[in-house]
Amino acid sequence: MVGRDITIGQYLAAPTLLHRVDPRLKLGMVVIATVLVFLYPGWPLLVFALTLVALLAICRLPLIHVLKALRSVWVIVFVTFLLQLFLTPGVVIWHWGFLSITDSGLSNGIIFSARVVLLVVLLSALTMTTPPLRLADGLESVLRPLSRLRVPIARITTIVSITLMFIPNILDQSSKLVRAQMARGADFESANVLRRVKDVIPVLVPLFVKVFHDADDLAVAMDARAYGGGKGRTRLYPLKIHPTEALLSLAFVAVAIGILFIPLT
Amino acid sequence: MALRLRLEGVTYSYPLPGKDEAVAVTAVSLAVEPGDVLCLAGSNGSGKSTLAQVCTGLLAPSSGALYYGDERIEGRSALREFRRKVGLLFQNPEDQLFADTVEKDIAFGPHNHGLRGDALKARIQESAAMVGLPLDELGSRSPFSLSEGQKRRAALAGVLALDPEVLVLDEPFIGLDFEGRQSLASALTSYRAERGASIIIVTHELSHVWSLATTFGLLSEGRLVRFETREELLAGETDLAALGMQLPQWGSLARELLRAGVSLEDPADPRALAGAMAKRREATDGR
Amino acid sequence: MLADVETKDIKVEGISYTYEGADSPAIADIDLGLEHGKLYALLGRNGSGKSTLARCLNGLLLPGAGRVVSCGMDTSEPGSVLEVPRHVAMVFQNPDTQIVGATVEEEVAFGPENLGLPTGQIRERVDRALELAGITSLATRQPLRLSQGQKQLVAIAGAIAMEPDFLVSDESTSMLDYSARVRVLDLFEQLRDAGMGIIHVTHFLEEATLADEVVVLESGRLVAQGTPQETLGDPQRVRSLGLDPLAVTVVAYELARLGHAVPEDVLTVKELVSWLYA
Repeated sequence: MVGRDITIGQYLAAPTLLHRVDPRLKLGMVVIATVLVFLYPGWPLLVFALTLVALLAICRLPLIHVLKALRSVWVIVFVTFLLQLFLTPGVVIWHWGFLSITDSGLSNGIIFSARVVLLVVLLSALTMTTPPLRLADGLESVLRPLSRLRVPIARITTIVSITLMFIPNILDQSSKLVRAQMARGADFESANVLRRVKDVIPVLVPLFVKVFHDADDLAVAMDARAYGGGKGRTRLYPLKIHPTEALLSLAFVAVAIGILFIPLT
Repeated sequence: MALRLRLEGVTYSYPLPGKDEAVAVTAVSLAVEPGDVLCLAGSNGSGKSTLAQVCTGLLAPSSGALYYGDERIEGRSALREFRRKVGLLFQNPEDQLFADTVEKDIAFGPHNHGLRGDALKARIQESAAMVGLPLDELGSRSPFSLSEGQKRRAALAGVLALDPEVLVLDEPFIGLDFEGRQSLASALTSYRAERGASIIIVTHELSHVWSLATTFGLLSEGRLVRFETREELLAGETDLAALGMQLPQWGSLARELLRAGVSLEDPADPRALAGAMAKRREATDGR
Repeated sequence: MLADVETKDIKVEGISYTYEGADSPAIADIDLGLEHGKLYALLGRNGSGKSTLARCLNGLLLPGAGRVVSCGMDTSEPGSVLEVPRHVAMVFQNPDTQIVGATVEEEVAFGPENLGLPTGQIRERVDRALELAGITSLATRQPLRLSQGQKQLVAIAGAIAMEPDFLVSDESTSMLDYSARVRVLDLFEQLRDAGMGIIHVTHFLEEATLADEVVVLESGRLVAQGTPQETLGDPQRVRSLGLDPLAVTVVAYELARLGHAVPEDVLTVKELVSWLYA
């Protein structure tokens, strides 16, 4: 359906350079970058952020979609910021009544919320450029050693990819439900926030019912095409890592780690 | 006769990512009187669902005017008022049913409109009776535990409970078998008779509404190509296949006969068709 | 048990199936023989058991009584679970909830991939299936952005890629508009001509007139089987089965009452009108 916002988890068919990169490399980069994001103190975080943005721009990833993904989590970012801002002990620089902001509060607030933002950007970049089944393939390949421990890898990765695939379905469904309620007099545009929350709750149950029905239909359709949990599946486009992309990924990781050691106060 | 609902030159477009806009419906004008059954027919992508939503006030026209009776409807609050008078039934009952019990679900609409207590109860009873839904048996059950047919009835009851003067149904017959279609058609006919309601049915399947509809509006790529009665539709040369649709067998048969010069009183009555054919046959036999 | 030489037919032997929690069986005592190279239409009102029967043909549902032998394999045998779908493929009613692939060609490749075929063979099958379905130009498109009719063609291509002997269509045309239905039925006829057996569950009697054989279910039992003319010619009978009789047959019936005998095999407008001028 046209006009739908791209949010987290949704694949975007655009000519980015990242689309063709082996999903395992992308997964690896995202995992390492995530760990580093939590290790970076203040300024290195900013350097990394700029590096990341530059990389995504070079790869022709339309940043507007990343911004849209951020828009849907702004609440979390904001809450994180506020919590750090008001609850971190340190030298007080401002206060009003019982609320006080410390210097550490301010810097922590910025750092923590910046971390959340970067996580979202990393995840979005991954899911936008990697179709769910391909991501599952990559995950499965990476986790394969675990199958020796009897962990049902293929099944897990299929569940992950199908969940990702269902996100647009869930959004579609909820908008249909909202419209049906509106047609019967529910007011989703009320200025009264409580009223809006009250009107959203009834949408959740039928949403789940419908999504489960659809998931069931999908499972049946997969069975009908001999899906046996993913074991022994071959591929039309087998995963292959090209030397170039391997080198570039290593370069990215090296730079990211290097940023950790930049002597910035 | 006073017009109940009128669209004049209505266009609706929606924003796409970036600065683009996609036009769903262009310059559509139509009019509906009390007691009319208008079929808005078009293949998928013709803009019919969008048009249905404009007719119920869920979407505001990008340009052009929507009139209810003599009043022009524009602005948020006018639209909201207008929505109270119009009911919309979605294609899939699961897109609409949500409450804990069937009774509460049917009550949702009228409750939002301010009905309470005995008046509310009475309205629920009436609506359920009109669609043939046994409330004493099913009223306290979860809507999701009902059979497909029962779910549809419950969803329709929920919309009829709003007591709308205009009822819009989006593909109500898909997936129903013959008997299901008949019972839905008769529920609609009774509602229309009792309330003098105008009914708009959006569908791509003409055979489902052939005997029910009084007027047909044919849509193609967002434009209203034709707006006429069944007889006019048959007499005209409209190439329905080009619009992605097909006349039901009744219609094709009637059209062939009309083209052969056989006059028909009622193109949907098998006896009339047979009678006319018999006469024609006798005429050629007598050579 | 005598192992059948691998035959290309489906034998349904006295099967019954009851859904969990249901009071009565969805289908009971059904005996049916289906041959490849034929187009079957399976009709019946809602709740008559058509979908249940369809799902027993490829082992999606296992009968509570009796057995289904699809292409020489008893569907109840555990070993047949991955084998039967190779021979009996299925497409479903809702175009949206059967799609897994990010692109059309990946979607069509899903089945062969599950069969563990080498990449080269998968490529061949995908290309062949896309060509048969007439959608080669859509290969790199995202399936979810296509029209409903195109999505169903993709689903059918996905089934064709399994190179099955039979294709079961569980109301795959119910949600499509007329032009999309025509494309699907044309494809079914093509596949039938190429030797596949097609079992098409449908609500549309006009589609059934195209079939080689019509099977009608009522309350879980098989109540009629034969050519379209034999099964659909009598409007009273058709109505009693909860189906909407073809206009042509109703008019023919009225004409008979007026003393004009219309030949029995008239089911389409063309045929009736040509009788008029005969």
